[in-house]
Amino acid sequence: MTNSIEIKNLNYRKNMKPILSNVNLTIASGKIVGLLGENGAGKTTLMRLIAGVAKGYQGQISVVDESKIAAKKAIVSFSEQLSGFNQNMKIERIVRFYEDVYPDFSEDKYNQMAGFLQINEDQKLSQLSKGMREKLIIGLALSRRAKVYLLDEPFGGIDSMSRKKIINSIIRWKPDNATILVSDHYVSEIASVLDEIVIIKDKTVFAQKSTEEIREKFGEGIEEYYEKVYEGTELHD
Amino acid sequence: MNFDDKIPIYYQIKEYIYRQIITGKLEPGEKIPAVRQLAVDLTVNVNTIQRALSELVTEKMIESKRGRGNFVTEDINKVKELKGKLIMEQLKQMYDSLRKLNVSDQEILDYVSQYINKQERDQK
Repeated sequence: MTNSIEIKNLNYRKNMKPILSNVNLTIASGKIVGLLGENGAGKTTLMRLIAGVAKGYQGQISVVDESKIAAKKAIVSFSEQLSGFNQNMKIERIVRFYEDVYPDFSEDKYNQMAGFLQINEDQKLSQLSKGMREKLIIGLALSRRAKVYLLDEPFGGIDSMSRKKIINSIIRWKPDNATILVSDHYVSEIASVLDEIVIIKDKTVFAQKSTEEIREKFGEGIEEYYEKVYEGTELHD
Repeated sequence: MNFDDKIPIYYQIKEYIYRQIITGKLEPGEKIPAVRQLAVDLTVNVNTIQRALSELVTEKMIESKRGRGNFVTEDINKVKELKGKLIMEQLKQMYDSLRKLNVSDQEILDYVSQYINKQERDQK
């Protein structure tokens, strides 16, 4: 199996303050991986670094063997929070923008997903509920034919129906060999979909484990394992 | 379907398919839904479905036909055997927990037949 994300000795500081220290991480292609950690642990920063949005780091980050930023941007689809768009802009225009900017954006895939997620393109960005906005963000991110998808906290503060639909879309529209990294600080609802979890704690990758191994070896639920690791009561590695 | 997060998911998927086969929801020789479809229906990872199915292929409960998909075995004896195995598993659980309560074998038999009679009466 080939690796889709390889990070070696990554250090990243912002305003002289260390955000991530000595991060080493390898993720095989085709997997769905949960990136877990408290708010402010550095999950978003790590995604921004993998996506090539955040710069000025030390160490090595390669995505499907590409380490140049422009090449990474072409194969990584990062769920953007749409904060750069005018809030009065209609969804329709945002979709057109995506089509223009990303050569791998599939209108066909988008239309299927928009139908399934019931996205109304006549609405303005400001009119969307939190759940609908998150559906749009995920729909746009998954519509690219990318090798790696980085989905940043798609489940935060949204209703359970929207959550289920987003999880469903991830299963349905993930290309076979593509890798998905999805961050969350709460894991129960997506646990059954994840191949692995990566826990960010103390500014680094604190643990990386296969979910089936956690169940099989320790007889524990994923949430339970995660909480124990976070509190430092789980000693087995 | 709701999974127990403490038990490997591939194992629970296998159990689910066993039950489908035993109850006849999946008949001998019937095509099993595509991997992606099963993943969507059960809200699990495609890789986990694949692992469950490949074990079922090894056990010869299902047969993988190249380019056509996966099919339930046509071997009726295999299905009977599976049913027997699941019944024994359930009985073992019941038996073990009753024996822990110091219930004798004869008492277990008596209570089981009493219980069955009561079920029959209640259904009338």
